[in-house]
Amino acid sequence: MSSNASPQYDAVIIGAGVSGNLIAKQLGLAGKKVLILEAGLAVPDSREEYMNNFYLALAKTPESPYPALAGRTGSEKNPVGVLPDPSTLPTPRATVLSIGKGPDVSYLVQAQPWSETHQGSQEPPQNPQPDANGNVPGLQFSSTFERNGGGTSWHWLGTSLRELENDIKLQTKYGHGVDWPITYTELQQLWALAEKEIGVSASTEEQQPLEVVGLVYPPGYEYPMQSIPMSTVDQAVSSGVAGLQVPGTLPDTPGGSDPTMYNVFVTPTPAGRNSEPYDDRRVCAGNTNCIPICPIQAKWDPTVTLGKALDTGNVTVSYQSVAYNVAVDGTNATRVDYYVWSRDANGNLSKVSKSVTGKIYVLACHAIENAKLLLLSNNMQGIANSSDQVGRNLMDHPLYLTWALAPEPLFGYRGPLATSGIESLRDGEFRKYRSSFRMEIGNEGWNFSKGDPYTSAMDFIQGTNNTGTNDGGPNGTPQRLAGVQLAEKLNNIYTRQFRIACMFDQSPLAENRVTLDITNGKPNNVDGLGIPRPKVDYGLDPYTMEGFRMAAYVCSQVYQKMGAKEFTANGVGGAGDFTYRGVNYHYYGAGHVVGTHRMGPESGSSVVDASQRSHDIPNMWIVGSGSFPTVCTANPTLTLMALAFKSADSIIAALNT
Amino acid sequence: MKKIVTIILLTVVAVTMVIMTSIPTTMATVDGPEISLSPNIPGDATFGALPPNATNEQKLLAIQGDFDIYSWNTFIALNWPPGPDGNGDPNKKIGQNGDNDTVWEHYRDIADIFLPGGATPSYNGPVSVPTQCKASYKPGMRIISQVGKTPTVLTEFSQPFNTGPIIDQNGNYTRFEILVNKPMFDYILANNLYSKAGQKAFTGEVAFPCGGPTGPEGAIMVKSAWKVISVADKARFHTQTVLVYSPASQNPKYAASCSPKLMGLVGLHIGHKTDSASQWLWSTFEHVDNVPTEADVASGKLKAKYNYYNPKCSGAKCPPNQIPPRPWNPTKVSMFHSQVVRMNMFKGNEFAFTSADARNADALKLLLGVSSKSVWQNYELISTMWPTNTGKCQATPGDPLGTPAPNFLANTTLETYIQGMVPNVSSNCIECHNNATMTNAKASDFTYILQRAQ
Amino acid sequence: MSTNPSTPPSESTLQAFADMSAALTGFQSSFIRPFLDPVNLSGTFYQFAVSQVGQPRMDALMGTFASLSNQTPKLTSQQIADTLLETALDAPSLQAQLAQSIVAMWYLGSWYVPGVLGGGGFGPPALQVISSQAYTKSLAWNLAQSHPMGFSAFTFGYWSQQPASLQTFGVDTSNGGGQ
Repeated sequence: MSSNASPQYDAVIIGAGVSGNLIAKQLGLAGKKVLILEAGLAVPDSREEYMNNFYLALAKTPESPYPALAGRTGSEKNPVGVLPDPSTLPTPRATVLSIGKGPDVSYLVQAQPWSETHQGSQEPPQNPQPDANGNVPGLQFSSTFERNGGGTSWHWLGTSLRELENDIKLQTKYGHGVDWPITYTELQQLWALAEKEIGVSASTEEQQPLEVVGLVYPPGYEYPMQSIPMSTVDQAVSSGVAGLQVPGTLPDTPGGSDPTMYNVFVTPTPAGRNSEPYDDRRVCAGNTNCIPICPIQAKWDPTVTLGKALDTGNVTVSYQSVAYNVAVDGTNATRVDYYVWSRDANGNLSKVSKSVTGKIYVLACHAIENAKLLLLSNNMQGIANSSDQVGRNLMDHPLYLTWALAPEPLFGYRGPLATSGIESLRDGEFRKYRSSFRMEIGNEGWNFSKGDPYTSAMDFIQGTNNTGTNDGGPNGTPQRLAGVQLAEKLNNIYTRQFRIACMFDQSPLAENRVTLDITNGKPNNVDGLGIPRPKVDYGLDPYTMEGFRMAAYVCSQVYQKMGAKEFTANGVGGAGDFTYRGVNYHYYGAGHVVGTHRMGPESGSSVVDASQRSHDIPNMWIVGSGSFPTVCTANPTLTLMALAFKSADSIIAALNT
Repeated sequence: MKKIVTIILLTVVAVTMVIMTSIPTTMATVDGPEISLSPNIPGDATFGALPPNATNEQKLLAIQGDFDIYSWNTFIALNWPPGPDGNGDPNKKIGQNGDNDTVWEHYRDIADIFLPGGATPSYNGPVSVPTQCKASYKPGMRIISQVGKTPTVLTEFSQPFNTGPIIDQNGNYTRFEILVNKPMFDYILANNLYSKAGQKAFTGEVAFPCGGPTGPEGAIMVKSAWKVISVADKARFHTQTVLVYSPASQNPKYAASCSPKLMGLVGLHIGHKTDSASQWLWSTFEHVDNVPTEADVASGKLKAKYNYYNPKCSGAKCPPNQIPPRPWNPTKVSMFHSQVVRMNMFKGNEFAFTSADARNADALKLLLGVSSKSVWQNYELISTMWPTNTGKCQATPGDPLGTPAPNFLANTTLETYIQGMVPNVSSNCIECHNNATMTNAKASDFTYILQRAQ
Repeated sequence: MSTNPSTPPSESTLQAFADMSAALTGFQSSFIRPFLDPVNLSGTFYQFAVSQVGQPRMDALMGTFASLSNQTPKLTSQQIADTLLETALDAPSLQAQLAQSIVAMWYLGSWYVPGVLGGGGFGPPALQVISSQAYTKSLAWNLAQSHPMGFSAFTFGYWSQQPASLQTFGVDTSNGGGQ
């Protein structure tokens, strides 16, 4: 398209997820013409297909409802069904079932595939060891995302916590990481907008005890809906930890110590799920399925906002449209090149190349895909990257899972997946020396921890001990039970199961990064459309791993105080396993992918400004959690939507000048 | 569950004592209820004898039959011409002059129950007339409208949870309304459930009154679907000239409008709380010209004209059951026409088909017997959803939904886009209405209307 | 007892299968096969199991159940279950393994190949989820005094209250099976 022709749209947005849909809505309401290019399939007319996928899935992972990937027949060789090769798919994405596998299964090309270096090649299995700097590099990146209308937050949990005052001042306060280029006051205004858009249920009165860690609301602020009642699990943990205190650091923490004793207490979690009829959606019925999908849409998801964007009459969505290049002429973006893919009746994939122009371009396709697209553009030379930070500082909330049996039933498997947490340890002097973390109390028993109720059921039916609780036979051997005895035994176990997940404020590291999987300018692995796939380098530093050490201690203290028996068991040699100071840990990905196009005040060290506008390309915004300079201690969705409101305002202002 | 078993076993005993030599040999309940022309609204379903040594299928077919008979009797009584007291006039017959005013259309519209500011409603008070309608309004006219400006309100041209409108072959939006009978209204009034403040102050469990087999009826709520029709089609529909009102909307943006239109009834939901169904009985009827079935489309056996299907457009050009693209503006004629097909939601529950077909044939004979011009001959029962496991006017502990039969049920004009067989998502009256609450999230006994309180 | 696999099983066969399943799982018969059964998992599970192991194996298991049920003095459900599942033996026979898979069908809604065990901290792989209703009506969640994840018939706030008893959720605890 000639650069003299006027742009076809005011804004071209790449990605129909949280940020993309919110910005489209705001622009549409302001009378601006918007095109959203969405790589994946359209939002379905009902969630019947997605729920059916979920019901029939052998492994009910976060991705399991969405355009199905795994087969539905399991076997010893393929326990979760046969997984497709990403090089045959038009929109492959990172999935839980592909973690630890090679590029014939995993879309993300892990810098050091676990299956190559660790499974079968070492006997006995070993964990990676720290390098000279104490870092453990070459780990599997374990967070996943979706590529479809609505995006990854189809399967967010709904947790809508605000960040703390010191979260965004980590460098100034604690000499670690970087500060955010935005004030807490401004974030408070933006959070209020996001909380209304989503429909967040909480009470500031219930959050008031957290002022001690720097959670502060403007006076008189009220959430849109009443808070979600605490579960019986929450109540048991809350009364069980009464009076518990833990120090800021454990003895022999490198760098220093924080001997302050911190109170451990439980508070309800603000959540984007209806506690009253809101926005034409039903009230939560406790389907305990937020991840991967709420059957009744009591939990907000981005398709709600997309509907409102379409209502403006100014927004169009082009589905099955995969952007592979953003053209830049001088300092301005001029065009997006994309493939429109389709399948014929026999399932054969084909693609058509198209281009579109806008006055403004918005990259909103997730931290990993945004980075990939920026690096791919301009013949793989990359754009918007004078800082060399695109793709770098990849962070997650690595998640450390612990689980236990309570002395008395506390009735998990009920209610939303999580309704409360321990947020009281999220801030303090210790952040100079070790990563902070929040603790999420799970309502789903040992479903996440051990795949229950399945694993325990088969243990007591078949006489195995894969959960660790079937040791009641003679000499600690497993029992095989039947009838009412079997039912009552399982009842006794299920009703006492609970878990705590600790999520860490992982350090931004330049060497944790997304790059293109290319050698000598040639892609090593491509997707079904021929687009190079992203490679991920990921590891943990001592700051973060000290956080794990502390978290393990705190969890054991919580369980001890409650009289609960801990069953946390970390393996060796698997993806996500590592050893730190002689102790084995396992991390999961929380699905909170941030950092790959960080925001900052100046172009030398950051990719975008506080409005998520590219420092290098003034008519391009790069939005989403990829802009977070640090991962902070709250789940990112609320904050990334808050930032999207700010971005929308700045885009509208730019269009109006 | 136990109560239904008791009723059936008692009836079996009673029947065998009276008729010693005849053993029912058909699936119909020979000495059970029948469809009849009567203005008396059944207080509950009644049951005949089960076939001896009946299989599961046979039992379900027999009892489904009794509930379908109940549904037709209810349809006939509710559509009976009313007398001055609002009840069916015993001196008249349904359809005797072709069409007639009906009992249920004198029930109270929820627009006149949940008033701005939570004002106290009355059952027989005046109808609230929006400003835009005042010029065209004549007393006695019905107003089919959206309700209020609260964000939680279901808009009356969009299906549940704002999933989308259904638009006819002329580009006109289908309109819905919800009305409730006096027992239901009285319960709301007596417990102050017509306002947010009243709901907040209510400390009990919402429990609408149950009808019993000897009457009177329990709480009844009716949801109707209406299509704009031309005078030429009047003879085939129950019709009303109503004011179709759309209040102004911010997003999508359009101005308010109100205009009188001739509307034909295309769908009717009747929900009735009874002793045999604390999860309510859900009867649904459709106009016979609404849509083809999946099987009709596959075999090519199509009528010349449907209310919501173009027989000349097929396959990829007209994929069925698609939600119209946004934005939805009911004040304008739409370029998009809904192409709707009735999906088979009774796989494994074939007794639902068998029973409905038989009852529809019986009812048709009766209605035509009144007059060959009866508009009511153009309506058919799709099915009745009933709880198979429930107590007398209360749920069986451990089974809040009552294990409904059939497993899924939809009206193509009212649940167009969830005609599948996926639990918890595809249309199942009881499953979905079990999620209904008041404005404060407390359970509201299977009705969504209470969440409209202001 | 042997029937042609292509004709649907008779009412009495399904009732016997349901009675056996009730004994094996510890659930009341009314939960396994209610008087009116519009979902008919008994039929679905019976036919699925036969399709996996063949009619003769199923007939043999049900034959054993029938003779146990007819014993005098009358055996308790617990005794029948323990006998069919061979809980006293070190290694269960093929027939007991089939009984195990039947328990798993009711508890988990999935078919597990008889005799395939889990290991290394993981349960055995399932061949498939039998159907969406098999999942949404699976009974392991009743043992948690709850509901399957993704299908709740309860109402807002229920999770902050104690649940109904295990008896209400279908397990006949009156005989006190013991721990």
